Amino acid sequence: MDIRLRLVKRIHSILAGAGRGGSLPGVLALKMDPKFIEKMQMPEHVILVSGTNGKTTTSNLIAESLRQSGMKVVNNHRGDNLNVGIATTLAANCDDRFHVIGDAVVLEVDELTLYRQFHALHPTALVITNFFRDQLDRAGEMETIIRKMIELVKDFEGDLILNGDDPNVLRLGDAAEKARVHYFSVNETLRSRTISDEAGEGKFCPRCGRPLSYSYYQYSHIGRFHCPYDGFGEIKPDLTVTNVDFDNASFEAQGKTYHSFVNSIYGVYNCASVLCLMNVMGRDVSAADTVFRNYVLKEGRNEVFQLSRPCTINLIKNPTGANEVMKFILGQPGDKNICIFLNDNDQDGHDVSWIWDAHFERLNDPSVKTIICSGTRPYDMALRLKYEGLEDRVMVIENARDAIRWLDEANLESHVISTYTALHSTRAVLRKQEGSRHK
Amino acid sequence: MKLNILWMYHDLMDLYGDKGNIQVLKTRCEKRGIDVTVDTCGIGEARTIEDYDIFFLGGGADREQSLIFEDLLSRRAGIEQAMKSGTAFLLICGGYQMFGKYYKDQDGKTVPCLDFFDYYTEASDRDHRCIGNIAIEVTMDHETFNAVGFENHGGQTRGVTTPLGRVLKGHGNEYQSAFEGFVNDQVAATYMHGPLLPKNPRIADLVLMRGLRRNYGTVTLSELDDTFETRARETMLGRMGIKKQSE
Repeated sequence: MDIRLRLVKRIHSILAGAGRGGSLPGVLALKMDPKFIEKMQMPEHVILVSGTNGKTTTSNLIAESLRQSGMKVVNNHRGDNLNVGIATTLAANCDDRFHVIGDAVVLEVDELTLYRQFHALHPTALVITNFFRDQLDRAGEMETIIRKMIELVKDFEGDLILNGDDPNVLRLGDAAEKARVHYFSVNETLRSRTISDEAGEGKFCPRCGRPLSYSYYQYSHIGRFHCPYDGFGEIKPDLTVTNVDFDNASFEAQGKTYHSFVNSIYGVYNCASVLCLMNVMGRDVSAADTVFRNYVLKEGRNEVFQLSRPCTINLIKNPTGANEVMKFILGQPGDKNICIFLNDNDQDGHDVSWIWDAHFERLNDPSVKTIICSGTRPYDMALRLKYEGLEDRVMVIENARDAIRWLDEANLESHVISTYTALHSTRAVLRKQEGSRHK
Repeated sequence: MKLNILWMYHDLMDLYGDKGNIQVLKTRCEKRGIDVTVDTCGIGEARTIEDYDIFFLGGGADREQSLIFEDLLSRRAGIEQAMKSGTAFLLICGGYQMFGKYYKDQDGKTVPCLDFFDYYTEASDRDHRCIGNIAIEVTMDHETFNAVGFENHGGQTRGVTTPLGRVLKGHGNEYQSAFEGFVNDQVAATYMHGPLLPKNPRIADLVLMRGLRRNYGTVTLSELDDTFETRARETMLGRMGIKKQSE
């Protein structure tokens, strides 16, 4: 019996008893014993989910679907995806002999730190959602992340579940020498486009360097592509989604109709990866169907607060995510106000230049009445909008409470867009404002 | 008045929001009634560079930079012609490096650059990458003022005798160096992203004046409302502990 493990578990239960989460137990565990994660005896299935966007949602969908199919599953459902968060999750779910209790462990793993934990976690399956430019100043460049991951998968002997419609992700399939590679793909929809103003990455074939040819784009550089010279991208998907119907939030796969929890193309991709994995593991996909129908997105993902008129908050972390959130907002009928919280703390990235890579010019739409800029870098956001001709509709309100009060008093439907470190506090302000209204 | 801008490799050399610089140059012309056009130039595309008043080249990731390299070198004569004809140049990061003598990569391989100026760049080890907010005191066209940006570069640029500015906070041309960028009366080159121009409209206006000088001599640009620009810059200067100066 390891005294340190007992101490960590005790601290976790005290914190949990007090209603507090956080990764303090994991921080202590790794401080006392750097090999803490390695010591864990993992169950038969260890599924890691990584990539740039959609990690939290995808790993939660996988964990819920496996549970629904009858397995006991351990997962870091709050998105504590750094090693301290993972150590916390494992400590909370193991016995005194480091045996993780369950049939499967499903972990969302931060794409920058994946390589540090990969072998220690003994994964049996690795799911990769996508690779976009994200908070570049934390790691240098996206290319570095992909190269590191290529090194990891070279000798990996488990199942690789890869987004077959992302050229960057496909490079892992090219590199894997021992893994069983499975691709998921989504067929052309009514919203697919033959040209794209969003595709930042994946312009060139990673094998030969010549331009890739796209038959359609779904969003950003995700779509169906191939290299006319060497055939890169000509994959045989293990799971193909067809007949995506945005009017009914449904899609088909393997002759079965599914209803999605969110009516968006990236939501469909999340579901596709889950179904692909369920097939590989030999689980009943109808379990996933139940989960897709009833899944409630986590905090700050399309979460609605009842101010004088409904106010929806969404998290943005990078240009691609921001573009998709803006498409959603502009798809809502009627006039609206928007409030953007732009922070530049450690987890947001100190470099806010990514806002220039996102298509904020889309907010130059007659239905958008006023845009409030707040957070730690409100003037950078205001400038971004000013140079899209939105000068007359932009206001800076530095104080978060004043900004939300302004939205409430404006008596118009509103949307709050927030970067990571502003999300928690902004939701608290919204909850308070909502509460003051319903007293 | 007319002004035309050439935006080199817009689809490849566009790291850290460098395209914002083009938007600022364009908008500041339009607000003043200057008839501005922006043409892009991709790999293999035919352009007569000396036809343009302003030449802009941003930074790219290593992969993108290696893709454009050959094409850029093949345009050397055209660029030289443009320099002789008075075109103004704004170069960021990778664009800045490529106008120097050479770039020595991490493996010690030396790649010859355009060799217009005497400076050269050597890749650093991981511990000496220059990342973070930066503030400098710019001296350009006999004006001195503070500018802010975000730097993120491994390359250490040495041999600059006429820097764009003095480092107030951050790294500059080399890890913990005293100077940042390169400037002469035609070329302004810097590692500062952010993008550079939205928060530093004075640099934008000086570049525009240089571009207009070719056809119209010395012009005075009308004042614009720069409230957001000033607040954004002063917020960052304040955070970096740099006192306000009268501008």
